[in-house]
Amino acid sequence: MNVIETKELTKFYGSLFWKKKEPALDKLTIEIPEGSVFGFLGPNGAGKTTTIRLLMDLIKPSSGEALLFGQPPDNLEMKRVLGFLPDNPVFSTYLTAYEFLDICAKLLRIPSTERKKRIEEVVDTVKMSKHLFSKLGGFSRGMTQRIGIAQAILNKPKLLILDEPLVGLDPHGRQELKDIILAQKNRGTNVFFSSHILSDVEKMCDRISILYQGNLLCYGKLEDLLSETGSRVHVKHGEDEIIKDLLPEATGTIRLSDGSWELVFQNKPELSKRLKSMAEQNPKALTITPSRENLEDFFFRKIENAQQII
Amino acid sequence: MNEIMAIAGGTWRRILRMRVVYFLIICVLILIGSAYNYDILSLGMHKQLMMDISLVLNTIAAILVTVSITFEIPKELKEGVASTLLSKPLGRTQYLIGKLVGIAITGFVITGLITAGFIFVFNSAFGEVSGSMIKGHILIMESVIPMSAIAVLFSVFIPEFLAATATVIAIWFAHSTVAISKVKFLYGGVIPDLNLFNLRSEAVYGAHIGWGYIIMVMIWGIVFSVFATAVASLIFSQKDLK
Repeated sequence: MNVIETKELTKFYGSLFWKKKEPALDKLTIEIPEGSVFGFLGPNGAGKTTTIRLLMDLIKPSSGEALLFGQPPDNLEMKRVLGFLPDNPVFSTYLTAYEFLDICAKLLRIPSTERKKRIEEVVDTVKMSKHLFSKLGGFSRGMTQRIGIAQAILNKPKLLILDEPLVGLDPHGRQELKDIILAQKNRGTNVFFSSHILSDVEKMCDRISILYQGNLLCYGKLEDLLSETGSRVHVKHGEDEIIKDLLPEATGTIRLSDGSWELVFQNKPELSKRLKSMAEQNPKALTITPSRENLEDFFFRKIENAQQII
Repeated sequence: MNEIMAIAGGTWRRILRMRVVYFLIICVLILIGSAYNYDILSLGMHKQLMMDISLVLNTIAAILVTVSITFEIPKELKEGVASTLLSKPLGRTQYLIGKLVGIAITGFVITGLITAGFIFVFNSAFGEVSGSMIKGHILIMESVIPMSAIAVLFSVFIPEFLAATATVIAIWFAHSTVAISKVKFLYGGVIPDLNLFNLRSEAVYGAHIGWGYIIMVMIWGIVFSVFATAVASLIFSQKDLK
């Protein structure tokens, strides 16, 4: 079963009598299978938050539909297995972290006998145990973000939807949050999150999509989307003849600490053939690994293409 | 039901943490007690004056507590606090009912405290407490129900300051239903008849107020609240949230 499915999901903002001409989201059709960590990418105004709000039933679609676990987003039973962190979360400032999480636990119908223990577990996970009885009004952005994560994982969700979860956190906090997300993935939680931080997305996600001005530019498995741009050849220490032979065609060279070399080559058919035959002749001296473009290059290539078309 | 009480509990906590609420209760009780000193100015009518003042001030306190929700709901919607709550298994109607129940319970407690304080002050001053006087205050406590529903209704579709102003105006009209009884549109249920909860003259002059009347008026208040909350829910169900 797909965890998330959208069919031509479209959203126009505006009032009942006046709608903007350009949709914030235009006929988005995606399917996200179970067992994914899905990165939802796009520049500001691409429609990421709009999509997330549609998935959470916070806004209503102008047309099309969204399904989570095969159910419409307003299905309350389905919401019991969801966890959600909004973009720039704000919580009731007059409540303490414990009181706020207790309200969330009640809404999630966590039995009263387990509530306290579960709250203590999640605040421990987000390293906020010391501040459990402090008022939310006095929390910094990073602390609020952590409590936001705590409320999102309170019910051990099957699907975690996070809108820009890494924003507002210092590098240490970001790393901790990435560890929490990966721990959630390891316990079988599907994760869907939007982010601007491409390096983090590349490390954490197995599937991505890129939105631009409400249009879906691409989506799929990360490894399928990132094309091979060339090869990396590792040459053992002492194989000077091979180095001399290959060096003129390499676009990059790195001398490693053990004396071996790493050479980078562009994706040219003749060169690839030559490298392959050299590797077959000298299997111990030379290893070839295909080099792929990174997500950042892929993202900017897609956006630039879209800018030329749209 | 648990979901509704969870939201109601949050509203209750918010109001109880507002220092101004305690200040309001103390001020109201001081003003009621000070009426004891007006025996010369009021030509010996200070007992009635104290009762009258207590009923008026308790009504004002009920209105102030009720109006506080017109700031809370739009603020929660604007800042996105409600979005986090509504991402849980909580229906939009349940959220509104939770707010209504929260403000109604808080209103009962605050007007109840004022009533208890008044009974204590009155008994200390005159050594007597009449049944109609207490029933007059009970009716004011009941008026919190329809007033909260008006506040919730305005809160879901207009910004906080406008919602507060509209609520105060609606409550003022609703207390003046005798004066506006000729305006069929307003009197026909859009604005509740809050005059039903105002039996000041009977309370002040010790006329009989039956328990049957008190129960009927409470039922009327609940019916109006159900109607107003249903309209609010209909509007809220289509609203895009931040």
